[in-house]
Amino acid sequence: MSADSPAELGRQLAELRERLSQVESKVGKGQVERLSLVVFSGSLDRQIAAFTIATAAAASGMEVDMFFTFWGFSALRDPGKRGQGTPKTLLARMFGWMLPRGSIQLPLSQFHMGGLGPRLIRKIMSDSKFASLEELMQVAAELEVNLYACDMSMNVMGFSMEELVSYPKLSRCGAATFIERAAAGKVTMFI
Amino acid sequence: MSVRTVDARGKFCPLPIVSLAKEARQASKGDELIVLSDDNAFPPDVTSWCQKTGNKLISVEQLDGHFRATIRKEV
Repeated sequence: MSADSPAELGRQLAELRERLSQVESKVGKGQVERLSLVVFSGSLDRQIAAFTIATAAAASGMEVDMFFTFWGFSALRDPGKRGQGTPKTLLARMFGWMLPRGSIQLPLSQFHMGGLGPRLIRKIMSDSKFASLEELMQVAAELEVNLYACDMSMNVMGFSMEELVSYPKLSRCGAATFIERAAAGKVTMFI
Repeated sequence: MSVRTVDARGKFCPLPIVSLAKEARQASKGDELIVLSDDNAFPPDVTSWCQKTGNKLISVEQLDGHFRATIRKEV
């Protein structure tokens, strides 16, 4: 039968329609409108950037996951809380002393100037009514942004969940969870 | 249909969009949302927000010292 006979064309059209509907159903189910951020940096400026993008995405209807790892982790520490339970190793205690206790102590990535930089930035931002990092975290909580604490970073630095900020959607996970969720999402960033 | 107004003057990126999104959640389909903002990023941001969320941007006007956007909730 020649390829352009009406019967053959009709059969091909039906087959194409079937494949199109399969593709459409896969795209609809598999692709979530999700932003996945790896928050690696413990700098105030980068954390502000991360939370600004995260809250803008959540406000635009996207699901947002933020994975905190290494130095980024400092932003999740609650300055008022101490670890309980198993005693910390010397190395873990050193990390505890040396790393910023929570978002309020984060340094700037540039122009830190011995702590003057972050204070200036915070003053400029509050004078011109920009949201502070703490306000952005509050907005993220309201918009149900998911925060993930990297399990490996917590182990290396000796932190426990009870030392972290009270945040409604905070959980502990490993790299495979990030990969699984980021692979099904649309946008991924490393900050 | 009701009209809801969000006064986001004095707030900067991303807060005007966050305020709009929160108000839009409370609104019903067909409602009109009016947002006032003095953030220069607001006109392009509200245009993108409407594109992204599927809501209809009816107008963005430049008034005295601020912008006024009118949006119809479509979804």
